[in-house]
Amino acid sequence: MATITATPGLGSRTTEGAAIRAADLLRWSLDHKVIGLQYMASSLFFFIVGGTMAMLIRWELLTPALDLMADGTQYNALMTIHGSVMIFLWIIPMMAGFGNYLVPLMLGAKDMAFPWLNAFAFWLIPPAGVLMIAGWLVGPPEAGWTSYPPLSTLFSPDGQTMWAMSLHLLGVSSILGAINFVVTIRNMRPAGMTIWKMPLFVWAVLATAIIQVLATPFLTGGLTLLILDRTAGTSFFDPGSGGDVLLWQNVFWFYSHPAVYIMILPGFGMVSEVLAVHARKPVFGYRAIGLSSMSIALVGFTVWAHHMFTSLQPALRIPFMITSMIIAVPTGIKIFSWLGTIWGGKIRFTAAMLFALGFITLFVFGGIGGIFLAAVPVDIHLHDTYFVVGHFHFVLFGGSVFLIFAGIYHWFPKMTGRRMNERLGQLHFVTTYIGTFFTFVPQHIAGALGLPRRVAMYDPAFTNINTVISLAAFLLGISSLIFMYNILRSLSHGERVGGNPWRGLTLEWATTSPPPPWNFRGDPVPFDDPYGYGSDESGPYLDAVERRFPAPEEAAGA
Amino acid sequence: MSQESLTPAELLQQRNRRTGLTIFQISWILVFVCLVIVNWQLRGNHPSWPPPGVNAPSALLPGLATLGLLASAWLARAATRSLAAGSRAAFRRQWRAALALGALFLLVMGYEWLSIPVSGIYSDVFRMMTAFHLLHALAIGLFMSMIARGAGAGRVSAQNLWPAEGATGLWYFVVVAWLLFFPVLYLI
Repeated sequence: MATITATPGLGSRTTEGAAIRAADLLRWSLDHKVIGLQYMASSLFFFIVGGTMAMLIRWELLTPALDLMADGTQYNALMTIHGSVMIFLWIIPMMAGFGNYLVPLMLGAKDMAFPWLNAFAFWLIPPAGVLMIAGWLVGPPEAGWTSYPPLSTLFSPDGQTMWAMSLHLLGVSSILGAINFVVTIRNMRPAGMTIWKMPLFVWAVLATAIIQVLATPFLTGGLTLLILDRTAGTSFFDPGSGGDVLLWQNVFWFYSHPAVYIMILPGFGMVSEVLAVHARKPVFGYRAIGLSSMSIALVGFTVWAHHMFTSLQPALRIPFMITSMIIAVPTGIKIFSWLGTIWGGKIRFTAAMLFALGFITLFVFGGIGGIFLAAVPVDIHLHDTYFVVGHFHFVLFGGSVFLIFAGIYHWFPKMTGRRMNERLGQLHFVTTYIGTFFTFVPQHIAGALGLPRRVAMYDPAFTNINTVISLAAFLLGISSLIFMYNILRSLSHGERVGGNPWRGLTLEWATTSPPPPWNFRGDPVPFDDPYGYGSDESGPYLDAVERRFPAPEEAAGA
Repeated sequence: MSQESLTPAELLQQRNRRTGLTIFQISWILVFVCLVIVNWQLRGNHPSWPPPGVNAPSALLPGLATLGLLASAWLARAATRSLAAGSRAAFRRQWRAALALGALFLLVMGYEWLSIPVSGIYSDVFRMMTAFHLLHALAIGLFMSMIARGAGAGRVSAQNLWPAEGATGLWYFVVVAWLLFFPVLYLI
């Protein structure tokens, strides 16, 4: 066993064995691949936790009366922690996990710029998760994931303070992680990789990191005030004592609307990779996709008050309506570019590709719902109804979660050296697609008909539609179990693969699966065009990569 | 240590650290910007600020402390340059002076925090902002005092300049954050 040292500050790593064991995920490690998998494993754990809560919520809503819960407060607590866990402990850290694992590999780097900081940022998440969930022991938060005062200041038990502390930790983790991404992408690209040759996933992570470093501090500021109001007797959000109840809404949404893009932009990057590789086509409009990520990041800072149309000064409604409409443009550019990418391609309907294609269809639908809500007159009608619930679940589940699934099917072979079971993957896709559609489309309809959100009991006229929603949600629960089973089974029984099972051109495929401790043996040379599929040069390059990093069986045969 | 004597890996590490510190400064200063906006939104809800019956604190003593803080940052910068040039004695002298002025600033602002009469939202905002800044100044000041000890033991030197350079960058951050707060709290 040899020990090598790379860049100063990175320490040393043993060169024996590239595979990362389950026990490694519980240890402090500076290896970005271990940290990436730690993010992903903990996120999957919280996906199960938050998903179980979703099942309980839908069980409660099967009938108009209280069934599972003793009272509405229990329901409020469940819904609050479900939303907070899904956003802050499942989707955002999962995207960070992909970034951690893939960005250094795609850049041909040995690790992130600050490995220690990287590990520290991850290890803030478990205590934050404990704080969030342990709120139940002292009286759970009940004010919803948005935690508007006075619900969050006067009417929610001590778990609300723990919720705020949890988000504080997650915010710091997010900022530290984002700093690492920006520095790594800016300073550690290999010779020859200009920003216009960076993989689109790296572009997306860069745009996301810029949002995180600029938006998350506002959440920190708001949470500080919330904690002080709850614990130190201040009155920042109490209008009766000179405070301002809208102050929280402004600060919270100034972070949380950009946070929507924190949750989706890395996925946009992933889908660009998946579509090009599995359609064997160059990305259509590479620069347009890269720059639209940046546009979304920038315009995303100008739309926050569309969440407050009903409480906003009327004169400000139109400007925010316009900016909210404008942000659909760069997103539309991406959709157009993705369609152009697959048009005429040699599409392989792998599970990864199915989820990527499914995402496009669902996201267009979800996006149109967003246009409805960006229009002031419609929004005022739909405010606080199930239409809003349907919309954000459609874009988060049909968007972010579909992209996470696509990403896992696509990069699982790189991370483990084994392919996930395709048949189970296809079953997972079909059940997830049907479940998503019939859970969240009827929520739009119920909302438009007047079903209010955040209620445990409802008008019996909505019984049938709620039954459909709940049954479809249970199907989503079953589909997630199929996915988990597929992961666990594939870890030990999946088909072994070589370095480049999908014949991808980006640099993460130009090494073994899984990669060795410092990622590459020698300095990798990026292919001139990371999306040059079908070019004369790409075939020989991919053949050479395949010969150098063959599947274990092929290597043994040779 | 001259740039020419650094290996490519060390140069990359130095570049990463400097970029990282800059991004951290930009990011974290936005928490202070957020609190300035909070101050503005709250005062915008009142016909006059401070509210009637509340006296604004005098800006004289904090103004002098602000000048001391600026001088402290200048001294920290000079000290880092002295250390880079290999002059450890000058570094110690200037760094200690910077620390002394920083401690003086902390004492003055601590006094201000304690002496402002409780007056509802006005004193809430004042105390929240000054305490938030004081905590940062205290933490970074303690880090700077650790650097002083490290330099005394030879761990921070011209060959290992980054701790001093990084601490100076963080002290600049304390100064900029205070320059955002001072006018809002005392002048406007």
